[in-house]
Amino acid sequence: MLSYRPGTTPAHGLDPRAKLGFQAGFAVAALAASSAGWLLGTYALAGLVLASARLSPIRVARDYRVVLAVLAFAPVLAGFVPGPPWFDAGPATRSALAVARVPPVLAVSAAYVRTTPVRDTRAAVQWLVPGRVGQLLGVGVSLVFRFFPLLVADLRTVRAAIHARGGQRRSVLVRGRLLAVRGLDRTLARSDRLALALRARCFAWNPTLPALSFRRRDYPVAAAGVALACAPLVRPVVGTFIPVG
Amino acid sequence: MSQEHESVDLVGDDAVEYFAKAVLIAALTAGLAQVSIQLPGSLPPFSLQPFGAFFAGLLLGPVWGGLALAVYLLAGIAGAPVFSSGNAGLGYVLVGQGTGGFLVGFLVGAVVAGGIVHRGVTPRPLDEVGVPIQVAGLLAALVAIYAVGVPWMSSVLGLELGRAASIMAPYVPFDLLKLAIAVGIVQGGYLVRE
Repeated sequence: MLSYRPGTTPAHGLDPRAKLGFQAGFAVAALAASSAGWLLGTYALAGLVLASARLSPIRVARDYRVVLAVLAFAPVLAGFVPGPPWFDAGPATRSALAVARVPPVLAVSAAYVRTTPVRDTRAAVQWLVPGRVGQLLGVGVSLVFRFFPLLVADLRTVRAAIHARGGQRRSVLVRGRLLAVRGLDRTLARSDRLALALRARCFAWNPTLPALSFRRRDYPVAAAGVALACAPLVRPVVGTFIPVG
Repeated sequence: MSQEHESVDLVGDDAVEYFAKAVLIAALTAGLAQVSIQLPGSLPPFSLQPFGAFFAGLLLGPVWGGLALAVYLLAGIAGAPVFSSGNAGLGYVLVGQGTGGFLVGFLVGAVVAGGIVHRGVTPRPLDEVGVPIQVAGLLAALVAIYAVGVPWMSSVLGLELGRAASIMAPYVPFDLLKLAIAVGIVQGGYLVRE
């Protein structure tokens, strides 16, 4: 799966706040796509973003293959009619157009994940959500990175133990309960130890974070994010003055 | 302590306790998204992920439970492979395979369940809360999850609302089963810790 890799690409050099803003703006613009030209524009822009992160589109498609497979299935579901002729092209086309808006958004967020260290995202979250809530969200994100592999391992251990005792012959209710209880038990034990460890280390409201600084090259990216977010509002006005097609 | 170290503003003991629980429940939600029970035949795998939202609401109340799910979503946006099939990124939450609304729904559901069960910001011991209130809280959470998730799915995948609802309808009995398991776990005293 995609994760952060250190590097020197143009995307690596940007401030995380500019990149987050661009991502959000891009998503708004991509989801507002209603014409083929607009759609092609978002694909072209996503291609530029991937190039700036030196990330291959094939790599991104491979990492999102499950998502893309589900997306490809949506038009089939939309067009299905119970009874002859079994398929209606109208809803299927509408769904295919809707689904086509998705891959560029995924590509842009893949570029973000590849080029932004977690500490930077944490600092950006704390800048975005000021005060104590932001502090807790920021620390929480880093702690989830730390504990997520441990809890997955815990749950897999529990599931292996259930299987080793012939548990797959029990009902789903019993298996679900066993997995949830043992998983929760280990979770709460870990949270007790974490709380103790945080207190022992004087967990404070005012820790030291990496200093974020907006440089000259960050402004155009942030501005592009705002412009993209506003683009769907401007389009009808443009359409009225410039006759298209 | 804080009077002795003017520059360090320590987090209160209760807050540390709730915060640690919220973080671990966020990690548990992430873990449950990766582990499912295979069902016989062509039935969809029995996902345990809603337990994350249920337990966040039941054990932590609306504020800390909401924080737990918010931390889960943010960790995914920051790049941890915490969504199902190891997916990550803001794009997956916003559009993904159309199921991002359910992720946001979990956050809303945890807040709703926490609000109904605990009736305040501070979580109260669950043995002071009757079973009907717990069930009502979790049912409201389920309604919230589907109320956010289904229209979201319909708009991303370009399906009619009715079609999207009928795709998700087979999951409802499973979710009710999960609700029963969650309440059973709480009532069975499995969570009593020394």
